[in-house]
Amino acid sequence: MHESIDANRPDSYAAANRDIIRVLLKPNLGWAVLFIIATSMMLYGFWCEFQQLTWGLGIAGYNPPIMWGVYIVTFVFWVGIGHAGTLISAILFLVRSRWRTGVYRASEGMTVFAVMTALLFPVLHLGRAWQVYWFFPYPNQRYLWVNFKSPLMWDVFAISTYFTVSAVFFFIGLVPDLAVVRDHSTGLVKKIYAVLALGWHGTDRQWYHYMGAYGFFAALAAPLVLSVHSVVSWDFAMAVTAGWHSTIFPPYFVAGAIFSGCAMVITLLLPMTYAFKWHAYVNMWHFEHLAKMCLLTSGILTYAYGVEYFIGWYSQNAYEWGIFSWRATGEYAWAFWIMVFCNCVAPLPWYFRKVRTNPWALFIISIFVNIGMWFERFNIVISSLAHQFDPATHAYYRISPIEYGIMIGSFGWFGFWFLLFLQTLPAIAIAEIKEMIAPPVRGAAHVEAK
Amino acid sequence: MSAAHAEVASGTRIKGIYAHLDCLLAGVEKLKEAGISGFQVLSPLPRHEILEVMYEGRPSPVRWWTLVGGVTGINTGLLLTSLTASQWPMINPGGKPVVALPPYAVIMFECTILFGALFTLAGLIVHCGLPGFGLDKSLQDPRVSDDKFGIAFLRASAKDLERIAAILSDTGAIEITRGDDTIYEVPNA
Repeated sequence: MHESIDANRPDSYAAANRDIIRVLLKPNLGWAVLFIIATSMMLYGFWCEFQQLTWGLGIAGYNPPIMWGVYIVTFVFWVGIGHAGTLISAILFLVRSRWRTGVYRASEGMTVFAVMTALLFPVLHLGRAWQVYWFFPYPNQRYLWVNFKSPLMWDVFAISTYFTVSAVFFFIGLVPDLAVVRDHSTGLVKKIYAVLALGWHGTDRQWYHYMGAYGFFAALAAPLVLSVHSVVSWDFAMAVTAGWHSTIFPPYFVAGAIFSGCAMVITLLLPMTYAFKWHAYVNMWHFEHLAKMCLLTSGILTYAYGVEYFIGWYSQNAYEWGIFSWRATGEYAWAFWIMVFCNCVAPLPWYFRKVRTNPWALFIISIFVNIGMWFERFNIVISSLAHQFDPATHAYYRISPIEYGIMIGSFGWFGFWFLLFLQTLPAIAIAEIKEMIAPPVRGAAHVEAK
Repeated sequence: MSAAHAEVASGTRIKGIYAHLDCLLAGVEKLKEAGISGFQVLSPLPRHEILEVMYEGRPSPVRWWTLVGGVTGINTGLLLTSLTASQWPMINPGGKPVVALPPYAVIMFECTILFGALFTLAGLIVHCGLPGFGLDKSLQDPRVSDDKFGIAFLRASAKDLERIAAILSDTGAIEITRGDDTIYEVPNA
């Protein structure tokens, strides 16, 4: 692995084309094994959902008043994972950060598939999934409209807008690269990529408007990165429930989302880089930046955890202090301490350069972060509902086998789409990689790589 | 190749392929100095030098689509929330006013972004001429998506043909083709 952006970079545009598209439509044994595992997990999840549709929500582990369980926990987890892609592709594009180039396409793909996964959970949580259209405002004879004052309705708009804008941004970025794949293909494959490339041929007119539009897409997507998880946090913070009703939630959720998203990018891209031998495009220089992003957001999270306790103590509100002291010492203390270890302690070795440039250390710590961020949402959602104002309503929630199955299925669903993406679409942005390569010049003028 | 196909409307196709960016830029500048217009530049990547010399810093009109989309979105968000709430004013959760702007601001924001992005996409499609399946065959050159650059005229007037060819040649074009020969056929395809 190389530690500089310039290390081992190909010296020609054609070499970059060949390097990146050579892996397409050529599944190897490792990919096939992973794909079978992901598909099996996904099918198991479908079977569990079928059971839930057949028997009703009673086979989930809900125990009143704990009526938000693993589905909401996993929903928030996947929305959080979906944050890093747009952060890397849009915000880092606007600030002209060079390290985004190698990693942004795969991160964008991760975002789109993570949000696709997240979108499943409100439907699964409904129980009566066939009434999902009640989420949306539609004219009806009873003049009944959705309640736009509800944060749950804000969430419907926030997530569907985020998915739409991220998917458009992802596809628009792909168009010039799909033209490269089309021009290197033959037969039916060429025809399919020709349709997907929308007749892109690199004329000055196409590039001119493309670059104009791309900047606007980035500018529109950038505030979404901050707004989406803020809106998700309001699902909780707008409720008068101890442990949820806090103004700190939006920045706390956004930092957590970026933390988990960047960790997932490391988890996914490290094996991909080694498997495809793409060290010239994605190397330790990129992973080090991702690790630094994780360190920053881990620090913000640790601070937020501390502030929550401080507010609980300083406010002298018995319910606030009650829930926070119970989280650390009560029946769910195991979940709390897993969260604290994985999110606050485990990333600390990344302060040492040797650790954050070691592939195994990067990979293992990123897995810890992913686990810790799932438990953070578990901690927030479940413990506050289990320990509300009236002690008579205190309850304990156990995840049922069907909920475990659906959660496992969601990881399979995500893996299924991500693995398909790696085989069918360029996972590194070819046109932007070319911008990093010194253009071919004969010497009549001095032209540099961007 | 048939000569009949070489004529496009009232002119002739002519295309120069370049291996070097500086040569291409020199070619574009020489053509402009000679007062010759009506050509397109083909490039495997968006080089700012090319866009600068071709469009002289003028911003793309796609930005107006974004603006119209954003304005449409914020108004859609306001009208959707306010009018639907007014249609059934008895639902008054939390004692809030029927039309309460703070909670509706979230919907207005999301609609602004959503409509802005979709209108930008529409603007991109319109101005780029996408899908470009009907693009003239001489502009569909697979070498351009690889590592070559190009200058292509679809309707060069007969009196300019020789001047154009001379400029392309003088500035280092590695291949100059005319008429139907501008349509590149992949060897052994």
